[in-house]
Amino acid sequence: MSSIFEGLQFRAGDTFVHRLDPRAKFILSISLLVVATIYMQLLPLAILLCLQVPLVVAAKVTRRWMKTLRGALVLAALVFVINILVKYVTGDYTLLPVDLATAFSISFRLVVLFTSFSVFFLTTTPDELGLTLTSWRVPYDFTFAFVTAVRFVPVLAAELQTIMDAQRSRGLELDKGNFLQRIRNFVPVLVPLIVNIFRRSIELAEAMEVKAFGASKKRTSLRQLKMRRVDFLFLLLTLIFLAAGIYARFYIPIPAIIPSE
Amino acid sequence: MISVEDVTYIYPSGVEALSHVSIEIRPGEFVALMGENGAGKTTLVKHINGLLKPKEGRVIVDGVDTRKTSVAALSRRVGFVFQNPDNQFFAETVKDEIGFALKNFGFDEATVERRVQWAVRFMALDDYVSQSPFLLSGGEKKRLALASVLSWNPEVLILDEPTIGQDYLQKEKLMQLILQLNTQGRTVIIATHDVEFVAECVPRVVLMSRGRIVDDGKADGVLSDAETLQRCSVIPPQITQLMHRLSDPRLPRNVLSVGEAARLISRAARRD
Repeated sequence: MSSIFEGLQFRAGDTFVHRLDPRAKFILSISLLVVATIYMQLLPLAILLCLQVPLVVAAKVTRRWMKTLRGALVLAALVFVINILVKYVTGDYTLLPVDLATAFSISFRLVVLFTSFSVFFLTTTPDELGLTLTSWRVPYDFTFAFVTAVRFVPVLAAELQTIMDAQRSRGLELDKGNFLQRIRNFVPVLVPLIVNIFRRSIELAEAMEVKAFGASKKRTSLRQLKMRRVDFLFLLLTLIFLAAGIYARFYIPIPAIIPSE
Repeated sequence: MISVEDVTYIYPSGVEALSHVSIEIRPGEFVALMGENGAGKTTLVKHINGLLKPKEGRVIVDGVDTRKTSVAALSRRVGFVFQNPDNQFFAETVKDEIGFALKNFGFDEATVERRVQWAVRFMALDDYVSQSPFLLSGGEKKRLALASVLSWNPEVLILDEPTIGQDYLQKEKLMQLILQLNTQGRTVIIATHDVEFVAECVPRVVLMSRGRIVDDGKADGVLSDAETLQRCSVIPPQITQLMHRLSDPRLPRNVLSVGEAARLISRAARRD
């Protein structure tokens, strides 16, 4: 599970993809998401995944992108199994090849959905994220809350590890016992984590007040987002891709790799 | 007996926190690990109770390879007190908090009760037995964290940054406690930046820097080698600095105790 989060964590880099305007990258992610949602066939979904590869390589985040992929695969496998089971139980305890193909496509789509935002998060600083939202006139209170949430994910992950270490040192065995017991095993880990989150949010609120949060209505920012020519070009390509994706969905028959309905 | 043999550890992020570290700690020893932030002190002690397993080399605790046993089994022998008590409290009362580990280790109810009573009294927490751990002060929290580990009487006690955020009186009590536990035959290992604290305890000092052991020996020797200390971002104890500054050929430099220094200086002064 933690590997999915790792795939969403920004780390500084200076490549063509990092320097692209975050808004353009965000629109690309949304486009990927939309196109992935309207297709059920394997071929277009595979194309969507392959389309991301040059960007990932250009941004030099291949290793972490693969981590997201691997994390998403676990989840996809789970979805696959549940799908098959439900089909099996509701369909008079028989399985058709079509059912397998459908379940496979659904899980594969999940992988594509996950990775579509991976490139965005891997190459966009929390700062730029905030600027993006602000430039779309999202109230700053919301922007701040969102950026803070993103910003604290790695902090919480580290803290979770420390707490687990501390409790394991007191003889707690997380994977001992039956299903219910295992859930109960997490109480000694979750209570300190939640208490710490509350404590931290109070401290953060105080720190913000000290720095006069919300004192002026109109906020200015040191860095301003500015679309350059290359950003517009990238955006244009993205929109062409989106239009083509939607057009193909309705007017071009897709050859099936695995037989489906 | 703890023996760390040529251990290398690399965090998933790629940081090499320990590189080819070897050290032996005999039963009943008192060892202080010192060095800059990120020197590898905490990483090293986490290997001793199996929280981390070496990528290369091996760690043997009482004849058992840490890779072949569980953290729970190792913790029974090696008690680990973490730096921040807030990262472990979850029970409703101080009493339950102390009893948690005892129950995990499978002690029967009567024994749990008896040991909790003992730990409460030993750490002077009598007044707080049925209070919430979250309502305690910083010093009391530290004592509770200690009590919850001492309750199962581990042979080895590891303290990670025990003096951080503690006032002078708490530190003094902590020192007495550590020395007492050590005198009773327990192995005590502390990872700390607090050079004055170490100077007063006079343990064996292991100096680390960038994942390697730089120096290892008696406190007076290691803590008076200003040059090596500086490489590890450790400042010598004030009294040692004073002896250096006096640069009197009749005065030794490797003095850690204020009393001892006072005696030596006044003797030298009388002779003038």
